[in-house]
Amino acid sequence: MFAEHICLTANEKINDITRRVNDLKEILLGNTAIALGAVTAGVRVAAGYPGTPSTEVLEGVAKYNTDGKISVEWSTNEKAALEVAAGASWSGVRAIVTMKQVGLNVASDPLMSLGVIGTKGGMVIVVADDPGPISSQTEQDTRHFGKFANIPVLDPSSPEEAYEMTKYAFELSEKLHLPIILRPTTKVCHSSGTIEVDTEVYQYEPEGFVKDPKWVIFPPLSYRRHLEIEQQQKEISALFSQLPFNRIEGNGRIGIATGGATYAVVRDIVESCELDVTILKSGAVFPPPDQLYGEFLQRVEKVLVLEELDPVIEEQLYHIMAVRKIEKPIRGKLDGFVSPAGELRFENTLKIIEKFIGRKLKSVENESGMVFPQRPPVLCAGCPHRASFYAVKKAMRGKKSVFCGDIGCYTLGNGKPLEMTDTCLCMGAGITVAQGIKKAEPDTNVFAFIGDSTFFASGMTGLANAVYNGTKINVIVLDNSTTAMTGHQPHPGIGRTMMNTSSPKIDIFSVAKSLGAEFVEKVNPFEFDLAVKTVREASEKKGVSVVIFEAPCAALVKPDNVCAVEDCTGCKKCIREIGCPALTVRDRKVEINRALCNGCGLCTNVCDRIIRL
Amino acid sequence: MDILITGVGGQGTILASKILAYAYVIEGRNARTGETIGMSQRGGCVVSHVRAGNAHSPYIPVGGADLLLSFELCEGARRISYLKKDGFAIVNTASIIPVSTALGMADYDAEKITKYISENSNAIFIDADKLARECGSFRAVNTVLIGAACGLGVLGLSKDSIVQSIKKNIKAKYLDLNIKAFHSGMKTTEEMKEKCKVI
Ligand code: SF4
Ligand code: SF4
Ligand code: SF4
Repeated sequence: MFAEHICLTANEKINDITRRVNDLKEILLGNTAIALGAVTAGVRVAAGYPGTPSTEVLEGVAKYNTDGKISVEWSTNEKAALEVAAGASWSGVRAIVTMKQVGLNVASDPLMSLGVIGTKGGMVIVVADDPGPISSQTEQDTRHFGKFANIPVLDPSSPEEAYEMTKYAFELSEKLHLPIILRPTTKVCHSSGTIEVDTEVYQYEPEGFVKDPKWVIFPPLSYRRHLEIEQQQKEISALFSQLPFNRIEGNGRIGIATGGATYAVVRDIVESCELDVTILKSGAVFPPPDQLYGEFLQRVEKVLVLEELDPVIEEQLYHIMAVRKIEKPIRGKLDGFVSPAGELRFENTLKIIEKFIGRKLKSVENESGMVFPQRPPVLCAGCPHRASFYAVKKAMRGKKSVFCGDIGCYTLGNGKPLEMTDTCLCMGAGITVAQGIKKAEPDTNVFAFIGDSTFFASGMTGLANAVYNGTKINVIVLDNSTTAMTGHQPHPGIGRTMMNTSSPKIDIFSVAKSLGAEFVEKVNPFEFDLAVKTVREASEKKGVSVVIFEAPCAALVKPDNVCAVEDCTGCKKCIREIGCPALTVRDRKVEINRALCNGCGLCTNVCDRIIRL
Repeated sequence: MDILITGVGGQGTILASKILAYAYVIEGRNARTGETIGMSQRGGCVVSHVRAGNAHSPYIPVGGADLLLSFELCEGARRISYLKKDGFAIVNTASIIPVSTALGMADYDAEKITKYISENSNAIFIDADKLARECGSFRAVNTVLIGAACGLGVLGLSKDSIVQSIKKNIKAKYLDLNIKAFHSGMKTTEEMKEKCKVI
């Protein structure tokens, strides 16, 4: 049937000239483009904490750090990372710090003060937002943080622009003596573009740290700086009206104001439907380019604002209208014309534009009536967390228990059939939420699951709190020797840094002991009976207990054997109990998929018809 | 040229998209991709968009793809609406049964799914897992499928550019295996094409 459609494309011979030009062109992920932009701008110190969708920025800096001149580190959390970068900047070197949006909540303390004190060497704070949200707890909008802290915000619309913006951000930071927030969203972070790579790296001699009272925040200094900074906002706004990242395109009487990744979607729609509109593209979004916004409002009859997350540009436009006494109808999120939540993709954005201009542009085919099986993400076959969860589940069967979860692969423990995650709030909250539940419900066995990386990021203070205030909770540390969820980054418990140098291993067992937990035990969750016994024992102690389940992430170890089923009865108990994705049903019998099976042997504890090969 | 690559987290769709995008750059075109990176990579649905040309945004709209490259049967069906009316689908017949189905919460009827794909697209089915295993590793499904697309002649790319891109994007250790897989996929669709021409 397909033969008639085939038209063999005449493949042009690639000549040497294009090949030479293309040597400088790279397909780069948005995050990698930001990393390369920073390296090109001469960054010397880079710090961050992993978090989707930001992780590849710091990894990119490490990758391009071929001569080892850049100090790159995964810090224990975002607050630590931001402070490390601030110190480096105060010493005159260019510094970058990376995190996801919720990470900035953790780092908001230094952020607010840094907005007052300011910087010396160019400093860029990369904070990735996640409309949807796709891999985050919240749909928070980092542009607000810019306004809150009086820190300029750049919002790239594509990987290409992210590359240019990153380089510019360092210059701008040095010019203003302020840190700059670069706020890409998932569509920019995790998409790639064709980027013409610079070959020269910016060279400079850092002055070093010069002692000066201006680096010590005191109330009188804060007051003085506040006056200066508010004045400076006006100058930055004027500068931003001239910046090519902010611009007006087209001449139509209908105005569309947009920014960030949504700009690209709007351009695709405007071009494919040949719309006669005027686009306001906001790339340097805080402080708002008042002059440019005013010009745009004068030129159009009505405005549709298309932006993901919060109506930031929209509110800025209302503000300009009020100040400049302009009156134009604006549709957007504030009047409910555009949904307040979720992504703006081609399909839904097109529908909004059609509704705005009052005619149909392009019919988008709808999904069919066929229903497909859902495929939610699951713990890998052989994941040690499955064994840990199952051990705790078995140990506590029939006893009134609540299981508090945390952030990591193990959040997936909430899914069927394990159902071992009853709460999840934010990084490190499992341990502390558990304490609140215990206080309210003293007769419940309350457990808190926390990963090794999360334990170092924000679990230790919570554990100290439990011991100090005498709240009997059972902490289960899921130690798989990596930060698995975000792609296997090292952490303080591993004995190796991101630069691949060795470091002292911080031992979770000793930490828990010295924080004063009454019962601390290490056990391999695949030594299943012992694991169950240990959990039981821990739960019976009067004081705070910590059980550390040690077994490496299955994605990092190669299996040396697999398991198989002999004479399966088809009862499906194995699937109902542990739900390993390698257990599949064929002709009403369970088979083990050898390509997936990790040979962990957990299933042999459920059924004796399963044997190790 | 818009190509949608679909599969299950862990199957290597991102590498396939990188190989294709870079091959377009080698031929002097601009390319961009949109990836699924995050929790879905743990066995969830993943989609990669590859766009050669002047599109601004990374995601191909529904009804806009020239080619659908599917690493898994059901995932191909799930995204069939992304194809243009005259677009092609190359679908790996291997299926990965989701845990929800094993738990009896949803049906995975391979026959019904295959029929649905055939009725709604110009589809070619190949057992890419088998071809990959024959070449040395089931992980080479991505190069088998890229080879299949090349053999069909629907990519607008020369074989040389693709091979060059594979060389740039795959570790030396796995290169021979993947080049072999690429040729195996290519041969399969070239032969299918021959048969159709005879008919
Ligand atoms: S990546 Fe590692 S920790 Fe995460 S689900 Fe897979 S095996 Fe478990
Ligand atoms: S493997 Fe064992 S537990 Fe699973 S279905 Fe067969 S007999 Fe039942
Ligand atoms: S041994 Fe059993 S539980 Fe472990 S990965 Fe294989 S099938 Fe899954």
